[in-house]
Amino acid sequence: MVAVAMNSVANQPQSSTAAKGGLEMATKDDSSDGLRFNRRNFLRTTGLAGLAETIAAPVELAAQSTPAAVGPGDVPVRLNVNGRQIDLMIEPRVTLLDALRTRANLTGNKRGCDRGACGACTMIVDGRSVYSCSTLAIEVQGKQIRNVDGLASADQLHPVQQAFCDKDALMCGFCTPGFIMASVALLEKNPNPTPEQIKHGLDGNICRCGTFSRIFEAVSSVKGGQRG
Amino acid sequence: MANSEFDWPAKPSVLGTRINRLDGPDKVTGRAKYTFDINRPGMLYGRIVRSPHPHARVVSVDLSAATRMPGVKAALLVRDFSGSQNNRVMFQGDEVAAVAADTEEHSIDAARSIKVEYEVLPHVTVVDKALDGTAPAVFTGGNVRDGRPAQAGDLAAGFAAAAKLVEGTYSTQVITHTCMESHGTVCEWAGDRLTAWISTQGINGARENFASALGIPQANVRVLCQYMGGGFGSKALSVGAEGLMCAKLAKAANAPVKLMLDRKEEHLATGNRPSAASRIKAGVSADGIITAFDAQSWGTGGAGATADFPLPYIYQVANRSRSHKNVFTNTGQQRPMRAPGHPQGSFNTEIIMDELADQVNMDPVAFRIKNLPPEAPNAMWRSYLQEGAAEFGWNKRHATGDKTSGPIKTGMGVSINTWGGGGRGPSPAHCEIASDGGVIMRLGTQDLGTGTRTMVAVITADALGLRPSQVRPEIGDTLYGVSALSGGSTTAASISPGIRVAAIKALDALKEKVAPALGVDAASLVAAGGRIQVENDPSKGMTWADACKQIGPQPIAADGEWRAGMSSTTTSGVQFAEVTVDIETGIVKVTRVLVLQDCGLVVSRLTAESQCYGGVIGSLNFALFEDRILDRNTGQMLNPNMEWYLLAGMSDIPRIDVRLKDQPERGVIGLGEPPTVSTAAAIALAVRNATGVTMRSLPLTPARILGAMRQAKG
Repeated sequence: MVAVAMNSVANQPQSSTAAKGGLEMATKDDSSDGLRFNRRNFLRTTGLAGLAETIAAPVELAAQSTPAAVGPGDVPVRLNVNGRQIDLMIEPRVTLLDALRTRANLTGNKRGCDRGACGACTMIVDGRSVYSCSTLAIEVQGKQIRNVDGLASADQLHPVQQAFCDKDALMCGFCTPGFIMASVALLEKNPNPTPEQIKHGLDGNICRCGTFSRIFEAVSSVKGGQRG
Repeated sequence: MANSEFDWPAKPSVLGTRINRLDGPDKVTGRAKYTFDINRPGMLYGRIVRSPHPHARVVSVDLSAATRMPGVKAALLVRDFSGSQNNRVMFQGDEVAAVAADTEEHSIDAARSIKVEYEVLPHVTVVDKALDGTAPAVFTGGNVRDGRPAQAGDLAAGFAAAAKLVEGTYSTQVITHTCMESHGTVCEWAGDRLTAWISTQGINGARENFASALGIPQANVRVLCQYMGGGFGSKALSVGAEGLMCAKLAKAANAPVKLMLDRKEEHLATGNRPSAASRIKAGVSADGIITAFDAQSWGTGGAGATADFPLPYIYQVANRSRSHKNVFTNTGQQRPMRAPGHPQGSFNTEIIMDELADQVNMDPVAFRIKNLPPEAPNAMWRSYLQEGAAEFGWNKRHATGDKTSGPIKTGMGVSINTWGGGGRGPSPAHCEIASDGGVIMRLGTQDLGTGTRTMVAVITADALGLRPSQVRPEIGDTLYGVSALSGGSTTAASISPGIRVAAIKALDALKEKVAPALGVDAASLVAAGGRIQVENDPSKGMTWADACKQIGPQPIAADGEWRAGMSSTTTSGVQFAEVTVDIETGIVKVTRVLVLQDCGLVVSRLTAESQCYGGVIGSLNFALFEDRILDRNTGQMLNPNMEWYLLAGMSDIPRIDVRLKDQPERGVIGLGEPPTVSTAAAIALAVRNATGVTMRSLPLTPARILGAMRQAKG
């Protein structure tokens, strides 16, 4: 139930220093309906003591506007992914990430943590970056969904993809699709970000190989959406 | 070593240059297919049932409910628990059973429906309790095992010669590999032949694992790993229970099965870096020589696994004694993790180095130089310390404790590292040149994300006078030949010589085909700039494409193997770190890291530098964030995820400057491990320099920093 109301928003500030130090940076939740959560910030801001109380609130809100229950069992879900319509029969509990990966063979974006913490699953939904592992597929029907599989056109890499290649901003590459999508979302919103805005914008993604320095270089080298 | 045509070139064309990672475009577009991405027709999803208890006897397992769940095609025990032997689970996450179902969601439901009855047994998960004897006796033969002691010189005489003494207890925590791609496998049978896609650091070892455990010939097993999402040692030694259960489920269900572990399983059951602690008493002479070093160390590598590390690390101490205890606990077994033992040895050694230096009023760089082994090509710390100190601005470092006003204190620290690495044979490689100009370099190695595929192309292209993009590296498939596992920084040094030998032999064959057409002697020809031409008269030659047209229908094929003299062993490196510490919040920010690192002949400069960046960031995580936290009473891991198991994000990354110290005359060595050894100690020493308080234990959390500062105030 709660999960229906939770639509994870990627790219909130969540550096480990901030988390560990208990420093709270302002969230930039720009959702209009006020129901959307970032699970990580949610946990961080409430702490365990406030958990029960805070969970109760969205359930109540959700109940007021909830349409008729769907499932259990498969239900039809129509998704618009990379400009293409995809019709699926899936259980309502299937996440956007799993729907695309296991039912549509769009395997570009990965699952690292399955809890909206690592960002490997980052996709862009109606222009906003989301953790697709913590977003239900049925929730994003009627929205424009973009994942990494649709970013390059024919033989032409997106400028962000080219920058990652040129700066060696990747090693094993498993987190890379998420970083690419987060970077694209950042640059589409703010074509000329400051260094602080780049760091802030990509703090919702984790790379275990440690390619951050060169991801920063790569994103910095893309100005106004173009390589400059 | 006599000169040979296979020697590394004096004037390389591509070797050591900055070549974009060959598989970059595949990775940034999502086209690269990792094990996790393999979807086979009719494929099922596997799921493992694991013990929730750190120690228990499995009384019974009822699979029947699971077999009636929607979509379930197979349910199996990991082993027979019915007898009196081998019926215990030894850690939270130990494997009990497994299921396969048509969807991942169904497999999770089915795993939940399996009824396991446990008799919960007393457990030991707290190392201190194991050591002081207050923990229950769990392991046959005792929870604590003595390691091999080591002695040198005369300890008593060493302490007698000391002007000052330092005593302290130092420790590093258990951390987990946390590979972004979890451990996982896709298995597909055709009769008694198995094809396995697996996220592994060793495809050939995996083939042997599968064959011997499943009772089929190795020739019947094909293992593939084209791309993998990191290993860091945890995917090196075995396919694990998860790999074997995947194969067994696929056999039982008669369908392909994908079994990928989730994040919690990764933290609990796929290895970790063991803890490392030591009680050290050391003496130093007035002129800064360490006269005595007496250490008792211990650590836990989990249930029945050791936890050794080098101590003292690198520095020479004539009079020393060391004893060690391996503490067995009911936790997942350790596996090698990037530079096994060295980060622990580095931290346990380097902290007391600065304490000793302070005792005799010496600068930490000068003090280190005084106690190092003699300088040698594989022991260059003296030079790197001096050069690095100059570049880093070490002369601006204040004495211990930042005396400036305000809550933000600044400090610098330094530490050193070494790693063996090195190459070994036979590590064969196979080169083909076809009449269409295509070049294949084929070998049974694998790319962990380090850049092996790029390195294969760079070496081949350099030998053939081509661009790396003109070479097709074929790796990651047991059909491509036999090669060793990738671990311990051995891959580059093992495979590079064979690649060059194969390429040059193939080129020699091509020269023989081209020479008659040009009317010259084959020995006069060279490959350069995409042409085959006479060395002293480039006008006599032809393009690569035209040259290859002489080959005919059957491609040129040549094989090479590792050769002594083309690779070497043992690196040295030095790292400097600068931090700020907010003494009101306890938050450490690393602001700058300088890396001086050698690795012999640099094959691919861009990817080599990336290894250094990655090593530093991995060690920064070890220093500040990572910690496997266990509940003291229940033994449960409290943070088996990625929001409470903390890792650095973009805002936590300092400026990192990498200075690769080229030693081309030494041949290829390898670079995976060394850069991740010493950053943590340098950071901890920088914190000490900033705050005046010695942090003897990792991670350097704000709470620990504030606690240590409070304690120091008294």
